[in-house]
Amino acid sequence: MFFLHNLERRVLLHPSYFGKNMTELVTTKLVKDVEGTCTGDYYIIAIMDTFDLSEGRILPGSGMAEFTVGYRAVVWRPFKGEVVDAICTSVNQHGFFSNAGPLSIFVSTHSIPTEIQYDANATPPQYTNHSDIVIEPGTHVRIKIMGLRTEVGEMFAIGKIDGDYLGCLQA
Amino acid sequence: MADNHYGGDSESEDDNFNPAPADLSDDEQDANDSSPRVSRKTDHRSSSPVADEDHDQDDDDDERPAGRATKRPRTAADDEDDEDEGGEDEEEEEEDDEEGGGRRGGDDDEDDEEEDEDDEDDVQHSHRRKRRKAAGVTNWFDIEAEVDDEDEDEGDERDGEEIEDFIDNAHPDDIADSGGMNDDRRHRDLDRRRELEASLDAEKQAEILRERYGKRAPTRGYSDMAVVPKRLLLPSVDDPGIWAVRCKEGKEREVVFSIIRRVEERLGTKNELPITAAFERAGPNSVMKGYVYIEARRQNDILLSLDGILNIYPRTKMDLVPIKDMPDLLRVIKTPSLTPGAWVRMKRPAKHAGDLAQVLDVTENGLEARVRFIPRLDYGVREDGNGPDGKRKRPGIPGPRPPQRLFSESEARKKNPRHLQGNPQTNSWTFMGDEFENGFQVRDIKIQLLDIKDVNPTLEEVTRFAGGSEDGTENLDLKALAASLKDSSSNVAYVPGDVIEVYEGEQRGVVGKAVDVRGDIVTLRVTEGNLSGQTIEVPNKGLRKLFKLGDHVKVIGGSRFRDEVGMVVKISQDRVTLLTDQTNSEVTVFSKDLRAASDIGGQGSLGQYSLLDLVQLDATTVGCIVKVDRESVGVLDQNGDVRQVMPSQITNKLPKRKAAVAADRSGSEIRLDDVVREYGGQQRQGKILHIHRSFIFLHTNTTNENAGVFVTRAGNVNTIAAKGGRVTGGPDLTAMNPAMKRNPAENNRMAAPKSFGPDRAINQTVTIRRGGYKGLLGIVKDTTDTHARVELHTKSKIITVPKADLAFKDKVTGKPIDIYSRGGRGGGGFGGSGRGGFGGGSGRGDWSGGRTPMASGAGGRTPAWGGAPSSSRTPAWSSNASGARTPAWQDGSRTANPYDGNRTAYGGATAYGGSGGRTPAWNSGSKTPAHDGFGHGSKTPAYGGGGGGGDTWGSKTPAYGGGLSAPTPAASGGADWGYTPGASGNAYDAPTPGAGLSAPTPGAFSAPTPGAYAAPTPAPISAPTPGVWAGGWGDSAPTPAATAPTPGASGSGYYGAPTPAPFPAETPAGGGYEDDD
Repeated sequence: MFFLHNLERRVLLHPSYFGKNMTELVTTKLVKDVEGTCTGDYYIIAIMDTFDLSEGRILPGSGMAEFTVGYRAVVWRPFKGEVVDAICTSVNQHGFFSNAGPLSIFVSTHSIPTEIQYDANATPPQYTNHSDIVIEPGTHVRIKIMGLRTEVGEMFAIGKIDGDYLGCLQA
Repeated sequence: MADNHYGGDSESEDDNFNPAPADLSDDEQDANDSSPRVSRKTDHRSSSPVADEDHDQDDDDDERPAGRATKRPRTAADDEDDEDEGGEDEEEEEEDDEEGGGRRGGDDDEDDEEEDEDDEDDVQHSHRRKRRKAAGVTNWFDIEAEVDDEDEDEGDERDGEEIEDFIDNAHPDDIADSGGMNDDRRHRDLDRRRELEASLDAEKQAEILRERYGKRAPTRGYSDMAVVPKRLLLPSVDDPGIWAVRCKEGKEREVVFSIIRRVEERLGTKNELPITAAFERAGPNSVMKGYVYIEARRQNDILLSLDGILNIYPRTKMDLVPIKDMPDLLRVIKTPSLTPGAWVRMKRPAKHAGDLAQVLDVTENGLEARVRFIPRLDYGVREDGNGPDGKRKRPGIPGPRPPQRLFSESEARKKNPRHLQGNPQTNSWTFMGDEFENGFQVRDIKIQLLDIKDVNPTLEEVTRFAGGSEDGTENLDLKALAASLKDSSSNVAYVPGDVIEVYEGEQRGVVGKAVDVRGDIVTLRVTEGNLSGQTIEVPNKGLRKLFKLGDHVKVIGGSRFRDEVGMVVKISQDRVTLLTDQTNSEVTVFSKDLRAASDIGGQGSLGQYSLLDLVQLDATTVGCIVKVDRESVGVLDQNGDVRQVMPSQITNKLPKRKAAVAADRSGSEIRLDDVVREYGGQQRQGKILHIHRSFIFLHTNTTNENAGVFVTRAGNVNTIAAKGGRVTGGPDLTAMNPAMKRNPAENNRMAAPKSFGPDRAINQTVTIRRGGYKGLLGIVKDTTDTHARVELHTKSKIITVPKADLAFKDKVTGKPIDIYSRGGRGGGGFGGSGRGGFGGGSGRGDWSGGRTPMASGAGGRTPAWGGAPSSSRTPAWSSNASGARTPAWQDGSRTANPYDGNRTAYGGATAYGGSGGRTPAWNSGSKTPAHDGFGHGSKTPAYGGGGGGGDTWGSKTPAYGGGLSAPTPAASGGADWGYTPGASGNAYDAPTPGAGLSAPTPGAFSAPTPGAYAAPTPAPISAPTPGVWAGGWGDSAPTPAATAPTPGASGSGYYGAPTPAPFPAETPAGGGYEDDD
């Protein structure tokens, strides 16, 4: 689910940047540092704006200036039970991996309708019910997230496609 | 009467269950009277309604009604028995006899008062007889709770039957089916009764029934009814005692049977056995084996009874079982059952004690099991059985036992062909009396000799069994393994916080969170259902941990997947499938082996080896760890094979070499973390994890095979994105500094100047500063960049020593000299050249010649310098080589300073050159800058022009120069100057070392310098120099621009030094500049 989230971050600026357009630099650096990262719980998709740019403070020892910046960002936090659209990235006999944006989701064979079977002989290998449904790398699928694992800079989910309105979107 | 007394105890109870209505058989009574305490209740309990009156009478008048009229009914009964139960087996016949005997025995003591018993009783007799006798035996001999003999089973059934009957019996209607079918009177009686009952209304009927049966329960006292409080059933001091009598181990049951037989034989005779019960509890693992338990009134009775029975030793040891322990004797212990495939440990034979074995089969009687295990064979090497001294070895103590190895037919054939026979087709052999199948030894072994519980097979042991299959595939029976493990650790560790489901017992289906665990009791706070919120206590037996799809769990406990962490993808019963974090593969384990994992990923390391490490397997093989198990790691070696190795098989771990570089297919360099794609083949693409020689290990996310790792040759990949780990020192200023960003080209440093010519170290006298040869003196014969080959003075041997470990000595004086200060390269060279300036192009030293090339090598400008540097250096080297210079140098040239000094010089130069600013230590010291410095420095234009660096540089330089100059001026600057000239001057004047020596720095400092300057140096030099000294040099002299930025002191000082020399001294210098420009 997407949220607008108010966040704060400390930005370090090299002394060589000190000058009149420092705030701009700070913002640029913030965007560069933060956008597209994962905090563990959610992904920071985009920064809307910044506010509360603090005065810089020179850090003893390094000469860098530290700014505390408040900013508002669009974040995406996947939830257990959330239904997301994803693109299949790889298929193996245990299930398939797919990406919903930055999030990698694994769908186990146990969570795939039984009529959709793994076909190792196809190239590339695919899950198919031998009629309209084919799941291979690149296929768009709608997945319900069953579990989430969060690590420091990474998230991982398992999902299922056996359920109403879930599964292959191209079928 | 004693006989009867003992014998009747059980019977009386049986009788109570007798269904036969009105069946006041003599037997019953004789039973009843035999045991007074029972008789009472029997009477009360007399169940058949029809017989009620009779019984009541009996109750009152029969003190011991036993056996009345026995004889007469006896025969009748027997006959009927035969008719009715032709099918009964012999056992019963026997029992009949026994009872008959008993009865007959009883007869003697009985009076005939009861002769007037109803005939009906006799008629009914058959029925009750049958029951009674059947139950009789079993009650006499409580063999064991776990019954596997047919006869006993039967007895049990019968008991059950009786109980049923008894219950049925409580209902009057049943009378119809139960007995006296052929008795008219009974029929009529029944009819009447029914009519009567039908006429009553239900309430009355209930009343009657209550009256009739209602009070019975409390009065019954001893009975088998479950409602009776247990304590009433416990033995008391009034009951016969139980003695434990020693018998031969394993013969317990036989003994009991012989006792039974004897009891039967003597039943009814004069010497009836005075014991009430005999039983044994000898299970395979029982602590009670070796004993038979006999119940009797007196110990002497037992001695009497057991006299002459084999295998039991009443006289050796007989223990009276304390009353409170008696119930424990009959406690039912569920014996662990063995199933084929289960793992056990062997206790005997001693050779295999503790070895793991797998159950192949269990014999029907459950006493023996066929197991297979890995033999410990020496193929008859120590077969003779006689010790070296000719004495027979004691069989119980085997020598060192041979290691476990699978049976090898060829070895057996080689060592002891006589004893080998078998069938190669089935791969089953017999060798020296032992059977072998597929390499495993197979043997029938008594279950007592096996450890069934707490087997805890380790993976290693189990894999040896698994590896035994011919096709080499792993055929681990995980289920059996799990079962073994499950047995062994029945006490699953629940910890507070676990979500637990009750799957067995009354509370089935309850789900809750454990709040407390004490011993076997788990306290649950119920989270779902009606009980929600309540706290209940449940034994942990029927519990299992509950997980939900998607839970992040860690495998704990005995599973082979221990420490794997993953997410639950499937749950069926207590089996949970999870997708592991490490390898993205699925594993199935028991929920008891799982625990909710913290979100920190688990495992991934075994000892010092962790996932994706590069390890050395043997001298020629390296591999990347792609899987970490509990006891082993999976390694993908450089040939692309995955092997499972123990940590002990790994030679060592190769540290990640961040700087490793390889060349890809097109020859461009690839480093760690670059993304490359295979050329041809599967065109796999991945990020470089390791580079080892020509092999690169790559990681990809597109597959989870081998944890996404694959190996290929460096020459077989194309670079996709080379953004990997370039080594950067410190913060990336380019990225940070906008000014730098504008001039990215500026960033390119020039390559270090190559120094040509022989290493100056060659032929130097050195001492070795560390290592095995520490302190030895030698002469450098040859060098590489890092090492020198030194011919030792002490022994004629040439050794290779790192250059860093060498201390250069003056050949003559033996004083230490700093060869590096004049360094093979830039720094030294320049330093020299700097000095050379003073030298005024004293090109005469032998050295200079040698040197020159070097200087020249440094650049096109060399010529300009050429004379100067070389010469300058020369003096240093040649003339004063050791003496003069050393001290002289020392000042200027303590490693730091000289460099600085030099550097400064360069620095200055460098600064101009444009690179100086960047690299304090390096550039200035040794390399590029030196060059540039030279080039530029010498060239006035460069100077004047502000050097390549332009403004930037300008701005930088000061800082630099300043920094450098700071030290320089004071120490080296002055010293340098002072002394250098001195040196050179000396050299000039009188190249003798003596001069150099005499000119020691101090002197050089003050006086000599000017003199030196003035005197030896050509005019031009002298001209500027003063300027320099004056401090105005910078301003006044050639390079205003340059001087301006350069710090006054050092800058000028140094500048002063080189600049003057080149300029005036050698015009070619000019050409040099131009070249450079």
